[in-house]
Amino acid sequence: MDAWLDWARGPAFVFSFVFLLLGLLRHVALTAWEVAHVWRRAGDRKLPLGKLLRATLLWLVPFTRLRHRFWFGLTSLVFHVCILVVPVFLAGHVALWARGLGLSWPAIPNAVADALTLLAVVTAVLLLGQRVFSRATRSLSRVQDFALPPLVAVPFATGFLMMHPGWNPFDFQATFFVHVMSANLLFVLTPLTKLSHMILMPSTQLVAELAWHWPVDSGSAVGRALGKEGEPV
Amino acid sequence: MAQQSGRYSYYEETRALEVTDRPRKFLEAFAAVLEHSSYGIALDAYARVGAKCSRCAASCQLYQATGDPRDIPCRRSELLLRVYRRYFTYGGMLRARLFADFALDDAAIDRMAEEFYRCTACRRCKLTCPFGVDHGLVTHLARYLLAEVGVVPKALVVSVREQLAGVGNTSGIPAAALRDTCEFLHDELQETYGADVPFPIDVEGAEHVFFPAVSDYLLEPDTLMGNAAVMHVTGGSWTIGTGNFDGINYGLFYSDRMMERICKRVGAEVRRLKGRKVLVGECGHATRSAWLLPNFLGADAPPAVAFLQYTYRALAAGKIPLKREKIAERLTYHDPCNLARAGRITEEPREILQAISAEYVEMTPNRSENYCCGGGGGTVSIDEIRAFRTRKMGKAKADQIRATGAKLVVAPCANCKKQLKEVCEDNGLEDVRVVGLHDLLLKCIDFGAAGGKGKE
Ligand code: SF4
Ligand code: SF4
Repeated sequence: MDAWLDWARGPAFVFSFVFLLLGLLRHVALTAWEVAHVWRRAGDRKLPLGKLLRATLLWLVPFTRLRHRFWFGLTSLVFHVCILVVPVFLAGHVALWARGLGLSWPAIPNAVADALTLLAVVTAVLLLGQRVFSRATRSLSRVQDFALPPLVAVPFATGFLMMHPGWNPFDFQATFFVHVMSANLLFVLTPLTKLSHMILMPSTQLVAELAWHWPVDSGSAVGRALGKEGEPV
Repeated sequence: MAQQSGRYSYYEETRALEVTDRPRKFLEAFAAVLEHSSYGIALDAYARVGAKCSRCAASCQLYQATGDPRDIPCRRSELLLRVYRRYFTYGGMLRARLFADFALDDAAIDRMAEEFYRCTACRRCKLTCPFGVDHGLVTHLARYLLAEVGVVPKALVVSVREQLAGVGNTSGIPAAALRDTCEFLHDELQETYGADVPFPIDVEGAEHVFFPAVSDYLLEPDTLMGNAAVMHVTGGSWTIGTGNFDGINYGLFYSDRMMERICKRVGAEVRRLKGRKVLVGECGHATRSAWLLPNFLGADAPPAVAFLQYTYRALAAGKIPLKREKIAERLTYHDPCNLARAGRITEEPREILQAISAEYVEMTPNRSENYCCGGGGGTVSIDEIRAFRTRKMGKAKADQIRATGAKLVVAPCANCKKQLKEVCEDNGLEDVRVVGLHDLLLKCIDFGAAGGKGKE
C-alpha cells in the first residue's frame, strides 16, 4: 500500500497537476487567440466594456444572482465556496505546498475546514438530487453532469475521514490513496469536461458580445464562398 | 405563386421543398459562416462550458408557458451545438470515427427548422445563465444556416424580397404614395392641432435621415405625426429619403447576408442625401439593426439615433413645450427586447412618459428583464402561428398587462404593437389599447408655445 500511496502522491500527482495547468493554459491561449482574431477583423470596434465587466463580476461573485431558482442557486454557491476554500487553505495542504515549493500562505482553522468539508459533501449530494428530481434539468443532463458532483465529493469525504481517524471505518492508507487519486482524477478531467468553466468563466460575457462583431462584408463574403452572389432573394 | 408546404408550423415557399441534399449544404454554409463571421468564438466557448443547470429554463417565457422540454433554451441550442461539435471540433471528428456518433440528416434539420422558430431570440435567458450563454445568438445563427438550405418562413422572405428586389420597402409603398401620405399627415396635423408641421422630403445635407418601420406609414400615422411634431418644435434638421424610407430589416431574423444588403441600402441613402445620422423611428429591431451598421459598413458608418433618445434629450433640454393637462388614463410601458435587453434604452421612454402622464405604472419585471411581447424575432409577421404567439409566447405578457390594470400600453416598436394588440384580443384584454410613445406625446405638445408657427 505504501508504494501505491507514494506513487499517487508523487508521479501521479505531478502528472495530473501539470496536466491540469497545461490544459487550463490551453483554454486560456485558445480564447485569447480567438478574441484577438475577432477583434482584428471586426467592423465595429466599440464594446460596452463597463457593462461586460459588471456582468462578469456579478457572475463571478454571484450573491446577487440568486433570485431565479433560489435554493438551487444558494446550494451551488455554497458548494463552490467550499470546494475552492478547503483544498487551498487547509492547514495540511498549506504545509504540503510549503514543503514542496517553499510557498506558504495562511491556513483556516481545522474546525472551519471540517465544517466546510461536510458542507461540500452535503451540497454535492443536493446538487445531484436537484438534477435528478427537476424535470427540466434532468432532461438536459449528460453523463458528466450526473457523475461530476459525486466525484467532486469523494476527495472531501475521504479527507474528512482522514482528519477524523476515529470515525473512519476504513483503512487509513486506503482512504488516503482514494483521497489523492480522486483529486488527481479531477485534475485530469477539469480541462476535458465542463469543469473547465473554472478558467473560462471570466471570458464568457466578453465572448458572447464579441460574437456579434463580424468582419465588414461578412454577409457578402459568405455569399461569395457559397457561389450565391447573384441569386435572387 | 408560392404557397404553403405544410412541413412546419409556418408556411414556406414551394421552392424550399425543391432543395435537395440539405445536410451537405447546411454544413457547407456552416463552414463558410464560421470562416467569415465571428460566431465561432461563442460556439467554441458554449461547446466547452455549459453547466446544463437549466436556470435559463426558469427565465424563458416559452418554457414557462408550455413546460415542454424541447422549449428549454439550452436544449434547443444543443441542436446546433452538436452539429458544431461533431463537424467543426477535433474532439467531435475523432469521436465520430470511433463511435457511431450523431450525424446531421434531414430529420435533424427539420427539428431545428421547427424549434428555432419557436424561440423569439429575445435573449432574456442570457441574463440568468451563469455563463451568459446567448441563446438568442444561437437562434440567430441557426436560422441563418437554415435559410441557406431554403428554410425560411414565407412571411419573412416575401418582405425582404419586396425591399431588395421590389419597390424598395417591405410594405411596397411607391415614392409617390409616400409623398401623398406625408402630405396627408401634414394636413391632418394642421386640422387637428393647427400646427404647420413639415415633412421634409429629399432634403440634402440634413443632419438626420429618417428610417421608421415603413409599416407606420400605413398603420401608425399617429406615431409618425408625433415624430414629425417633435422634429418641428425642436427645430431638428431631418429628412425623409424617397430612395429608401424603410428602417425594417428582417435580415436580422433570418440571414446576415440579407441584413447586410439592407444595411448597405440604408448607408447608400444617407450618403445620397449627404445626411449624417440614421434616425430610427419607434421600432426595436430597426434600432438594433441600425446599431449593427458598423458591422457592415465599418467605422465610418453613419451613427444611429433612436427617436426615443432624440426626444428624451430634447425634452430634458426644455425644447419640447408641453400642455398643462396630462394623459389621465393609467398607462404602462412595454420594453421592446431589442431596445432594453442589453440595457441600452430603458430610462428615456420612462422619463418622457412620466412627464406626460398622470398615472404611470410599471409592469414587472421590466427594463432589461422584461418579457418579450411574444412576437420577437420576426415571428409576429407569421400570421399562421398566431395562436402560438398570443396564447403561449404572449401569455406572460398578457398576465403582466392585466396585473397593472392599465388600459393603455405604450410600446415603441412596430412589431411589439402588432403583437400586443393580438395578445390583448386573444387573452380577454379587449379594452386595452396599444399605442406608440410619440402618439401620446403628440397630444401633449403645446404647439402654441412652440415658436409661433402654429395657429393657436
Ligand atoms: S443557464 Fe446556461 S448553463 Fe445553465 S442550462 Fe441554461 S444555457 Fe446551460
Ligand atoms: S431567447 Fe427568449 S424565447 Fe429564446 S430561449 Fe431565450 S428566453 Fe426563450
